[in-house]
Amino acid sequence: MNETSATAAVNRFGLGAKPGELAQARDPRGWLRAQLRAGPDLAAFAGLPDSGELLRRQNAYRQARRQDRREDRARDAPPSAPDGAPAGASTPQAAAARERSPLQQALRRDAFDDLGLRYRVAATTDAPFVERLVHFWSNHFAISIDKNQARLMAAPMEREAIRPHVTGRFADLLLAVETHPGMLLYLDNAASIGDDSMLARRAVRRQPKRKLGLNENLAREILELHTLGVNGGYAQQDVIELAKAITGWGTPLPRDAGRADGGGYVYRPVAHEPGARSVLGRRYADDGEAQGRAILRDLAVHPATARHLAFKLARHFVADAPPPALVERMAAAYLRSGGELTALYTAMIDDDAAWSDAARKFKSPQDFVVSAMRAGGIALDRNPPVLLRLLQALGQPSFTPRSPAGFPDTAADWASGDALRKRLQAAAALAGQVSAQRRPLDLAAATLGPAAAQGPLADALRRAGSPQEGFALLFSSPAFQWRV
Amino acid sequence: MTDPRMTRRRFLAALGGTAALTLWPGLSPAASGGAQTRLLVVLLRGAMDGLHLLPPSDDADYRRLRGALAVADAQPLDGHFGLHPKLSFAHGLYAQRELLPIVAVAPPYHQRSHFDAQDCLENGTAAPGGARDGWIGRCIGAMAADEGVAIAQVMPLAMRGSTRAELWSPPLPRPVPDALMQQLQPLYAADPALAPMFADAMAEADMDRSDGARGAFRLPEAMAAAAKRMQGAQAARIGFVEDTGWDTHRGQQAALERKFGELDAGLRAYREGMGGEWARSVVVVVTEFGRTAAANGSAGTDHGVGGMALLAGGAVRGGRVGGDWPGLSPTALHEGRDLRPTTDLRALFKGVLASHLRVPEAALETRIFPDSRAIRPLDGLLRG
Repeated sequence: MNETSATAAVNRFGLGAKPGELAQARDPRGWLRAQLRAGPDLAAFAGLPDSGELLRRQNAYRQARRQDRREDRARDAPPSAPDGAPAGASTPQAAAARERSPLQQALRRDAFDDLGLRYRVAATTDAPFVERLVHFWSNHFAISIDKNQARLMAAPMEREAIRPHVTGRFADLLLAVETHPGMLLYLDNAASIGDDSMLARRAVRRQPKRKLGLNENLAREILELHTLGVNGGYAQQDVIELAKAITGWGTPLPRDAGRADGGGYVYRPVAHEPGARSVLGRRYADDGEAQGRAILRDLAVHPATARHLAFKLARHFVADAPPPALVERMAAAYLRSGGELTALYTAMIDDDAAWSDAARKFKSPQDFVVSAMRAGGIALDRNPPVLLRLLQALGQPSFTPRSPAGFPDTAADWASGDALRKRLQAAAALAGQVSAQRRPLDLAAATLGPAAAQGPLADALRRAGSPQEGFALLFSSPAFQWRV
Repeated sequence: MTDPRMTRRRFLAALGGTAALTLWPGLSPAASGGAQTRLLVVLLRGAMDGLHLLPPSDDADYRRLRGALAVADAQPLDGHFGLHPKLSFAHGLYAQRELLPIVAVAPPYHQRSHFDAQDCLENGTAAPGGARDGWIGRCIGAMAADEGVAIAQVMPLAMRGSTRAELWSPPLPRPVPDALMQQLQPLYAADPALAPMFADAMAEADMDRSDGARGAFRLPEAMAAAAKRMQGAQAARIGFVEDTGWDTHRGQQAALERKFGELDAGLRAYREGMGGEWARSVVVVVTEFGRTAAANGSAGTDHGVGGMALLAGGAVRGGRVGGDWPGLSPTALHEGRDLRPTTDLRALFKGVLASHLRVPEAALETRIFPDSRAIRPLDGLLRG
């Protein structure tokens, strides 16, 4: 372990160095282990509204909007802008619609505050390894806010279901996510109803034509994306059985909006499919809500899950094509521990293969922006709309991967001429916000390590005409595009 | 002006060929044929109201259902349907037999969620979530060496699944200073993985300058940008453009006047941008579903099922209205409220890919549109 390893600790496993961080990471493995022991920062997020509260506010807004429309119809009034009008649509009607809905404005403001806080913590935390893990799991359990039902739920799901469990047991993380209203709405389980449930039988009697039934969406993604992986050895019948087992896991109906329990999660026994289930050859007695939980606990410690999680983590931190032996060792350590995530992480950071000089990752757009914020002390989070527009323009809009598989995680997905050009433009803009009291060469050494203090980049930084030009050069240099 | 080059493949090559390109077995460059033809897919997200774009003007049911929202001044087409007056360039294309509207189409998903319907339309299977990549991406992957470009900030699902699909979106407002580019050049030259990308970034910066004024970036600008990247020998053969703002629950008349004007300007921009290559081009304009046959109470329409598509281009056998029109009588409507879809959008896409890009049927019905043998490609869409 040497200074090169400190650079790897803060860049490969962290979020890019803040000035001074390289010194803190002088014992790189010890620095990472200490972060795992301390666990996630929960205090920073205390006081934000929980998902149950957000669902209530959203419901109030929807009711007000319906009321609004009824009044429109009654008046036969000139209508306002379509729902799909992009933000900032400039018709007078759109402006009027915006003025009319303070509830909607409040929801937007909350969402921006939530996201701003996420990036403030990322840009300033002293435990960047744990914070990177939060982002990793958030993308592993991706929900995309372009699905209307999940729009308000992504950042809340990260802080409620993911953040508390990132250094705990994977089973707890898995259960917290799969019972979070964000996931239940995004993957339609809130609308999944057992064909032989009381609810479905009652509906058939009352309205024979109305179709209520099983929705396999969440069950499929649990198996394919969240646990076993696509080649994890499950069959379509396992998907159906799991889907039946988790019927009833849902969110409050509008008429239950007053119910204050469970942060927006509700188990509805009337929607649950009765009967025993069989998943991957194991039988689970009908135990209501507990039936699905028992299946998820078993899935969490399945060998295929261990391999899937180990591979994704190694690919995220070490290299696009991580050494298979490293993945195997990580998976084995995880299984030996009975499903402890810290065992998985510790196996990775203890392994010399994870510190190889050959290993490197091309920064995703979000990595790039966060690392520049950390290096330059740039408080872009103070204006969340600007920050979010930048991330979108760079190709990684927050919580909008447009797929339950999340954002991709290899260089081939992010590196292109067009993407690099936008990074260079963003670099120039970011550089303008770094304090001119700093010296570009010092900043380079403090973030990229001592190697950056010599060679062609250092020469160019010395020649820079102004500090701002130097910072722009640093942020747009090839060295700053890689996590090494 | 430098040709924009497709860099992802070169990037993979620079990394040492760790990711092999997968070609559809047995599909040689010769078999992919007609290498000069071009296909642009335009996805109107939010559910464009086909009954407003192509009103069945002489239909009493239409006037009854739409009331004040019925389009009164449509440009006549075939005696039954008219074209919204804002689509004047498109009307000219129709007169030149280069525009072919197809009525009553929809993806195989018949529920009413935008997200799921777009997912289904883009992934090319029978259901939302049916595939992790898209039919255009798989089509590019199945062709020997052709490349695609999506004018978008994030790779659309439709084009995922190929290493030969590139993204392009307009530059950020702030240009990169020339001096900075010069200083960066030797640094990037020393990084073999990023050097080709830096060269492309330089070329893109030149193109930005040639684009002239920066301003709003809407459908016309996006379609012009697609044309720019789709003409010339090195260019992308398949393009994808997306647009939002079509979800007209309220105030549809004013909203669609503006949006149809943009669509019309987009077709014109692509036509002009393609120059002589327009003759070998097909533009397919689609949307995820149609809207309710009846107007709602707020001078708009709600989510429906049967929609419409437009084919435009020199290669299109246009000047007529295609598709099976089911009518708008109460018994003809799907669930008593929506235009009934009579053509699966996959049949339309398969017809275009088969006859315009010469994609073999075996690839179409197994890999590009999985398990779609029963969905026969529409034929007769293109000239000769």
